[in-house]
Amino acid sequence: MDSPEANTLIEKKDILVQAFLKGQAPDFLDRLTTALDEYFYSVFEKSIAARKMVIAGNPFAVIALGGYGRKEQCIHSDIDLLILFDKTVPPDVEGFVQELLYPLWDARFEVGYAVRTIDECLRMSFERFDILTTVLDARFICGASLIYSAFMEKFRQRLAARHLKPTLTYLLEHGEKRLEDFGDSTYLVAPDLKSGFGGLRDYHTLLWYAKIKSNIKTRRDLAYYGILSHLEYESLEDSLTYIWDIRNRLHYITKRKNDTLHFEHQAEVASLMDFKNSGGQPDVELFLGELHEKMEFLKQAFQITYEDILSSSRIKKNKTAAKPTKTQGLMVHKRRLYFSNTVAIMQTPDLLLQIFLESGQSRIPLSIEARRVASEFRHLVDETMRSDPKTVKIFKRILGLSYWEFNVLNVMLSTGVLQQLIPEFTALVNKIQYNHYHLFPVDKHSIRCVQIINSFKDPGTTMADSLYASVYKEIRNKNVLLVAGLLHDIGKADPAKEHSRRGARIAAPILDRLGFNPTEKEDIVFLIENHLLLAKTATRRDIFDEETAVFTANSVGKIRLLRMLFLLTVADSKATGPKAWNDWTENLIKDLFLKTMGILKTGELASKKTQRLIEKKKKDVLGLLRENWREEEVNQQLSSMSRRYLLYVPAGNIVDHINLFRNLKDRDYIWQITKENGSDMRTVSICGKDKPGFYSKIAGVFFQNSIDIVASQAYSLGDAHILDIFNVRPPKDRLFEKEKWEKAEKDLFRALEDDHYLDRALEKIPQTLPPLPGKQPEPNQIRIDNQTSSFFTIVEVLTYDFPGLLFAVTNALYRSGLNVNVAMVGTKVDQVIDIFYVRDMQGDQKVESKEKLDQIKSTIINCLPKIHTKEVLSEKN
Amino acid sequence: MKKIEAIIKPFKLDDVKEALSEIGIYGMTVTEVNGYGRQKGHKEIYRGAEYVVDFVPKIKLEIVVTDDRLDESVNTIRDAANSGKIGDGKIFVLPVEQSVRVRTGESGDEAI
Repeated sequence: MDSPEANTLIEKKDILVQAFLKGQAPDFLDRLTTALDEYFYSVFEKSIAARKMVIAGNPFAVIALGGYGRKEQCIHSDIDLLILFDKTVPPDVEGFVQELLYPLWDARFEVGYAVRTIDECLRMSFERFDILTTVLDARFICGASLIYSAFMEKFRQRLAARHLKPTLTYLLEHGEKRLEDFGDSTYLVAPDLKSGFGGLRDYHTLLWYAKIKSNIKTRRDLAYYGILSHLEYESLEDSLTYIWDIRNRLHYITKRKNDTLHFEHQAEVASLMDFKNSGGQPDVELFLGELHEKMEFLKQAFQITYEDILSSSRIKKNKTAAKPTKTQGLMVHKRRLYFSNTVAIMQTPDLLLQIFLESGQSRIPLSIEARRVASEFRHLVDETMRSDPKTVKIFKRILGLSYWEFNVLNVMLSTGVLQQLIPEFTALVNKIQYNHYHLFPVDKHSIRCVQIINSFKDPGTTMADSLYASVYKEIRNKNVLLVAGLLHDIGKADPAKEHSRRGARIAAPILDRLGFNPTEKEDIVFLIENHLLLAKTATRRDIFDEETAVFTANSVGKIRLLRMLFLLTVADSKATGPKAWNDWTENLIKDLFLKTMGILKTGELASKKTQRLIEKKKKDVLGLLRENWREEEVNQQLSSMSRRYLLYVPAGNIVDHINLFRNLKDRDYIWQITKENGSDMRTVSICGKDKPGFYSKIAGVFFQNSIDIVASQAYSLGDAHILDIFNVRPPKDRLFEKEKWEKAEKDLFRALEDDHYLDRALEKIPQTLPPLPGKQPEPNQIRIDNQTSSFFTIVEVLTYDFPGLLFAVTNALYRSGLNVNVAMVGTKVDQVIDIFYVRDMQGDQKVESKEKLDQIKSTIINCLPKIHTKEVLSEKN
Repeated sequence: MKKIEAIIKPFKLDDVKEALSEIGIYGMTVTEVNGYGRQKGHKEIYRGAEYVVDFVPKIKLEIVVTDDRLDESVNTIRDAANSGKIGDGKIFVLPVEQSVRVRTGESGDEAI
């Protein structure tokens, strides 16, 4: 259908859009609205269907609703129309709708319409709030204006009489739901310009509220009726113009109604908005910085509305007198904090911080007036005040009061008082990092981080939450953690890399001003410098390897620091965005923390003493190998060895092992037998390729060849090799000792090949022990410790020595499907304590199930010979 | 055309990515996944409370390659992801019927 009116509209729109893109149509929304209005006038005038209905006594009004009603029509926004009749809707209306809307649909305008009578429309408005809000924006276009005014009058009457409270409640709930559904758009990677927090809907809500409360007609009235101050109205206009500009450009680029400023469109919109790269910061980051600032204002406007609605429903009208607060110089009026007068601020500049403390404690927001005053007087927070213990004390208390629901620190930031107190923070304000990972400008991110740390007080509902709460409770000096949270990214002012280290440098003088003692300062600097350590280690190293936890434990050093570093990591990641924080990363980081904590608590592998011992041993080994090895070769070998090994194995044996490892080549194993000076003992050092049951087979071969094991240690080297040491009594037949060893060596090769080679030896293990002389013997004891280590199940066997003991026990472990990763076996006179660090071969992890643990216990018990006490023997006799 | 789905340990991702780019494969889809096979979830204890990790965090890589590059790609992933331990992961190969590059409309091997 060819419509000259539609053609005129399209033409007008095209010209308008072109002018807009060139920046020549500052009142674009208004003019587009007018163009649409003109279309409806001319179609209405020409319409035969319309004339027929009027003649038949059915006058009607054509009414604009929603954004079109507000005269805020963007390029591809919906056009919402209401065709309103007095009492009845005549059938002829169909013809009219065809004349009116078909040409628009053909031209691909998005038009929605409703045909209703006044009563119908009233009923629906109070049944459905989304209809009610569009009616609030209703604007008469053409037709019978009397019908429009009759309707509006009835609507207002009913609203005032019966529906005021539910409508306001709806506005509140709608706001809350919006936050839930769309989140805080101000700092999203892809902000929703309309529905998110900080989007246009915030302004709509303010306008609706003013329309309901004060019956205002247009945006301009917000200032006339004193709902906003002149200054605020200016900011509102400024923010709206900016966001509408972006929205129109976004509509233009994507060729459709689209309100989400997606990542991939941001650069293009920025260039259309005429942003130029400056000072090394990409234009798009500047553009987003400015957008966030404007959206932040809309959000604040909404929060004012929200608070107003809340307080109007809460407070009785007669209680309007201002009341002083407990802090002299401040007062509360209509649930808002004010400065009593500006002279007081000049006399006591502390008030500039006190007001935030008061606000945080009482959860009463600063009035807009107080924000402005704080901002204008912020220069009073000068150098002396910055390091004044009194000011600092107030500030530290404010930090602990910053919560998600009531974030007083954010207000401190928006008034500039925070930056005045910590001038180094200024460089972070609206500092955008244009990528998918960082959702928030650095300043907001830092404050969110503080907020999240405070939220750990709450034990929450999930298992992880309760862990955070439990760790948080153990942190004695919360200020250390909070300040580390606020300053952890202070090094990001500079776009160069390595922000952690630079941040630690920048933070040092701030911490001096904030009066932290040397230990606290050291802790905070450490936290800032290492705030990425846990997250990086958790994702880039194998957290199932004990060495990863040992490395982390060594880097952190103290339990106190690990707790704080963990919570800082969680808060930092949570404050960054969903890429940095999700179930997946949470699991990894939490796991690494718990494992590292285990290592630090046991102290065995990560204490200062251990560090010293290991360092000394490394030096000794280097000294011993100097002649035949290059230093870096030895260091490389040493770095692949576990700390447990380095701690417990004497330097001499380490040297043997390094030499053996070099000569291993593709053999299964290689050993070296040394005669101990001045004793009858031999030390067998073994290096081999790890195979299931290796350790047990060595023990078996020694038993088979009557070589008596006095002590032994077993370790793994990396993932594929073993390093064992056996202290043994040599075979009895000294004449043929060499031959005996050669036979044992061959036996071991066979045993490694054939899993049943040692079966017969196993049968020779005694079933009962000869009666023990002297004191009452202790019964056999098997202890299983599954708590000390995150990596191993620790099995301890206490019994009396007998030939083949180690073979019997290790064979039992092997047949139970366990891998012996570490073993420490020793004999004291005839009492034996064997300790095994085992892992389940199936999953290469510690044994978790209770049944399996019980089964291991009984298998070992059953393989040990019965101990008979003398009494038992005599009873049998 | 074949699709390779590889489940690997998280800390091996960089190694695998690098190894693949060395043989000229730059495109892949990476997903953070949780699962278990022989390596099961586990529990940790902190101050008497148990914290259970039901699944083991892993990375899933998806790559589509032409048939002639399949073996090379699989071997590269295997070598780079191998630490010799349980839980190193698995590699699956699936036939791919068609591929289309959205922008140009190229299809088949061209679109990989």
